[in-house]
Amino acid sequence: MSSMQKQSATQSQKLMIFVLSMSLYGLATLFTELIPSFQVGIVEFSVEYFLFIPLTLSMLFDPLSAALGAATGELVFSEIMLGQFGGLGELEKFLTVTIGVYIAGRLVRDPKNRAMVGVAAFVGTAAQLLMGTVVDILKVQLAVEDFEAVAGLPESVFATEGFAFLNDLLFSGILFALLPTLYLVPKLYGKIEPLIGMAPRTRDSAVSGISPKAILVCVIGFVCAIVAELLATAGTALIDWEAEWAESGTAMAIGIVVAAIVVIAVLLVMRRAGEKKAAVN
Amino acid sequence: MSKLMQKLSENILDKFSMDFLRNQVLKNAYGNDDTVIAGLDPRILLAWYLFFGLIPWFVNDIPFLLGCFLLVMVTTILARVAGLVLFLFALGVFAQTGYLFLVTLFFGGDASAIAPLLILTLKVATISLASITVFSGLDPDKLSNGLMWYGCPERLSFSISYAYRMLPMLMEEFQNVLLSYRLRGNPPAHDTFPGKVRYLIYQVKIIMQSFYPLMLNTAKRSRTTVEALELRGYRYAAVNKAVKKIRLSALRVSYNDWLFLAISGLVVAVSVLLSTLI
Amino acid sequence: MNAVEIDGLTYTYPGAAQPTLHNISLNIEKGDFLAVIGNNGCGKSTLCKVLNGLIPHFITGTFQGTVLVDGVNTLESDVGELARKVGYVYQDFENQIVRPTVLDDASYSCLNYAFPDYLDRGRAALRLCGLEDREGEYVWQLSGGQTHLLALAGALSLRPDLLILDEPIAQLDPMHADRIYEVLRDLNEHHGKTIVVIEHHTEYIADYCKHVMLMKDGQVRWMLPTSQALQRVDELEECNIFPPQVTQAAHRMRRDGLLSGSGPLPVTVGDGLEAFSALRYTPSPRPVPEAPGGGAAVSFQDVSLSYRSVKGEPHTVFQNLNLEIHKGEKVALIGSNGAGKSTLMKLMVGLLKPAQGRVELFGEPIGEKKAEDLSRQISLVYQNPEEMFIKDSIRSDIAYAMQVRGREGWQERTDALLARFRLSELQDRDGRLMSGGQMRRASLAIGVALNPGILLLDEPTANLDIATRREIMAVLDDMKDIIQTAVIATHDMQLVCQWAERIIVLRGGQVVADGTRDEVFGDHEVTSLVGIRPPEIFTMGQRLDPAALCYTIDEFVDCFREVSL
Repeated sequence: MSSMQKQSATQSQKLMIFVLSMSLYGLATLFTELIPSFQVGIVEFSVEYFLFIPLTLSMLFDPLSAALGAATGELVFSEIMLGQFGGLGELEKFLTVTIGVYIAGRLVRDPKNRAMVGVAAFVGTAAQLLMGTVVDILKVQLAVEDFEAVAGLPESVFATEGFAFLNDLLFSGILFALLPTLYLVPKLYGKIEPLIGMAPRTRDSAVSGISPKAILVCVIGFVCAIVAELLATAGTALIDWEAEWAESGTAMAIGIVVAAIVVIAVLLVMRRAGEKKAAVN
Repeated sequence: MSKLMQKLSENILDKFSMDFLRNQVLKNAYGNDDTVIAGLDPRILLAWYLFFGLIPWFVNDIPFLLGCFLLVMVTTILARVAGLVLFLFALGVFAQTGYLFLVTLFFGGDASAIAPLLILTLKVATISLASITVFSGLDPDKLSNGLMWYGCPERLSFSISYAYRMLPMLMEEFQNVLLSYRLRGNPPAHDTFPGKVRYLIYQVKIIMQSFYPLMLNTAKRSRTTVEALELRGYRYAAVNKAVKKIRLSALRVSYNDWLFLAISGLVVAVSVLLSTLI
Repeated sequence: MNAVEIDGLTYTYPGAAQPTLHNISLNIEKGDFLAVIGNNGCGKSTLCKVLNGLIPHFITGTFQGTVLVDGVNTLESDVGELARKVGYVYQDFENQIVRPTVLDDASYSCLNYAFPDYLDRGRAALRLCGLEDREGEYVWQLSGGQTHLLALAGALSLRPDLLILDEPIAQLDPMHADRIYEVLRDLNEHHGKTIVVIEHHTEYIADYCKHVMLMKDGQVRWMLPTSQALQRVDELEECNIFPPQVTQAAHRMRRDGLLSGSGPLPVTVGDGLEAFSALRYTPSPRPVPEAPGGGAAVSFQDVSLSYRSVKGEPHTVFQNLNLEIHKGEKVALIGSNGAGKSTLMKLMVGLLKPAQGRVELFGEPIGEKKAEDLSRQISLVYQNPEEMFIKDSIRSDIAYAMQVRGREGWQERTDALLARFRLSELQDRDGRLMSGGQMRRASLAIGVALNPGILLLDEPTANLDIATRREIMAVLDDMKDIIQTAVIATHDMQLVCQWAERIIVLRGGQVVADGTRDEVFGDHEVTSLVGIRPPEIFTMGQRLDPAALCYTIDEFVDCFREVSL
């Protein structure tokens, strides 16, 4: 009985952390989505990085709930609510953010240790950015069919993506992830926990650092992110649209057009009939 | 350069006032629940999105892509999406491709780069507009019901409705905290260029710092919310199949839905036809 | 059978040294309308969470004794089953509403517990709460009072027999507060619900509740019928609970030998008519307030403003508003929710810009002022103090504005302010973790830190229990010498009557009345038009003699004298 109670209590706390992380990070990403970024040459200036929010929460609370909450928050607030949902790409973002935040949260055993917090924030951000960069490069490579053939394109993609990674890591990583996290974690430690009805994380209560299991889970997650992209290539080969059109030719296309027109006509008539019926009733 | 910096520093807090942003977001979220698109069945729309959000990635045929693009453009207009979202869409497309084009030229590419990039632009634009149509056009509850029907985790559909519910409150709170900084803080003078840089740094710092009070306030809130969720049976519903069934029984496919699909099919078929004729 | 039977309940929160509830035994009859009173931290809310099973099923801790709700032992039941027996409305009810639209939220619980007719149940609950015509609206379109009714509807939809409300009217204007209590009375009398409210407003207790339970230090002191309970003036005041003004006045007059008779003290205005029947009104000379000396502090000239609305036409708040506030005035801004009070304040601090016309501060248009000058001249204290705490201790919060301006001697001034607002001991705590009254005091200290020429206060006494409210009113009185011009937007008519020298009544963005309290409260057309509810003691005086204008108990005691017939 008592053990079951304890379980449900931690469940509810996890839900609180999820809700907290989702609302805050969601709100923050909503604004980054709304405030246009500016580019000077290839250096991008933007207030892009609010990753410090879930990073902070994951260091103070259950890392997985904070990580999942943040990823969901971004998906819901900035992608779905603003209609900026990018299809497959979002799965990749979801997974990389989750993994990055989760790693950072697991690394911190004692939130009062500033060095530990700093290293964790940096590693988490770097992990997220690196995964993002790898997937980004793959994405462009897959989308532009004759990628290698276009003069200057491969180099430019590698150069911009590589540069963006370094820029993000040094600029956003330090300014927008490391410093705010270092500012917030010690300030919030011991204050925010009672509001949620929890004991602050201590050296003894912390989930032990990065375990092999955690690494395995992260790797699997990242592989999923890549597989999502690779499926796309496989899809192109399988479907092979253009070949199909060339062979079946115009006749089939005309058939479809005629069929569609007939269906529309029938539907219109049926709808009118339905309306009349409704009016009579 | 200095002009750019000026634009940059003004944009963050001043030009885009929080009120304006809030209004646009709310407009996008709640202001279009009486459109043609909002009246459609979410399952049909999601299936439609699956086509227009995926297939364009795999096709490199310009007439086909153009046909799809025109169609999703019309649906976006029908969905009455807020202006800011469309502006962001335009910006997003440029950021992804227009910018790539400039860089390609810089690395010695020539006009041969235009065709693939045009295709890429059309792809990106079609997919973005399709998602704007579906995700901005549908009201949150229908959307989450639709996603649930396709087997998305319950947590996600809860998150969507909850986000729509909380957004106005969260924004107001954020606005008030920022206002506290504005009323009591002392921003550096920003008449000169170094001043502007300092002002920009100041603003970014304020936004970061404002998350300290926001985190604590939201933590307080989420405790009541989670307790109330428990009382209101959220956890029971998550494991009860009957609840899902009851919820989804409200979904109905009407003639309008089939008509929408058929018209979309017609447009696609016509563009395929055109591409075979060329 | 009783609705609730508690026997020997002792409960300790996890990690707490002392039990919050200590050996409580009580029975609540079916069909009762019970008010639970007691000062902050006496365990009222904890007791309510025991009834709905959140304790011990959701919030763990040490739990002893038995709690039977409708004959079911809460230990052997679960939160889900109990939710169908006990409805609960939180004090911060906004956070309890989790769905975007009204009907959706009202029927949410029923859906979760898999009732196929969940929509009908939701509609029925909305009907009981008088929200039936709003079912399609979004939650954020509702006013504060309607949002509370929605939270109540959400709890009612499961058709529980017992309803618990934690401070239902703390955030509402008097009209909405009446509405809530009317709904509760209807539920109690016509639908057989047992109702338990945690309430500080003894006027409402006197009007609506059948029994009162006093809690102190985690124990039940007594549970008595309302009229008897409110007689115990001394005991209540000792617990920082203040009986209705009518009762207080009668108590004081009897004590001082001004009122004869030995029957029970009156607890409502109706009772008072009889108890005070021997009194006659003798106007006592009152000091005539001096006319404010200075020129205009704030002036609105032909100001028009409208908000962008989410749908359709922009919503006009002000149309050609003209208003002047003079230096040295103490102004109260009243009017129902949505009359434009907050908007007016936002215009004054330059947060909103008028579409037409101009707003001037000390003779200069606001738009031309630098933010830095502006904050020295005018300062705004929010309704919700938590949003004013931007630092991690109240000391740094108070110091912040002075510190960033490099104000000379800011540290000494911070110390002085901390001492003045009795916060020195708490100076290193985060504002959010303090009690309601402490938070309020801290927010006032922050507001006056820069010594602004004009101080704006948005609902300074909302959400406070009566004792804390008194304390804040005393602080405001005490501040009169350090602030020159002050404007308070409020629903709290006691505050208005005690503090304000000039009252501006807003309705639909128009100034419908403007003058002293006698001019405003004495004008029945205005009070009934805007729905202003004067303090109870004022109404009492008016009922006894329409010429009487007594705003406080002191004035009442001074003006009414027993005449020998």
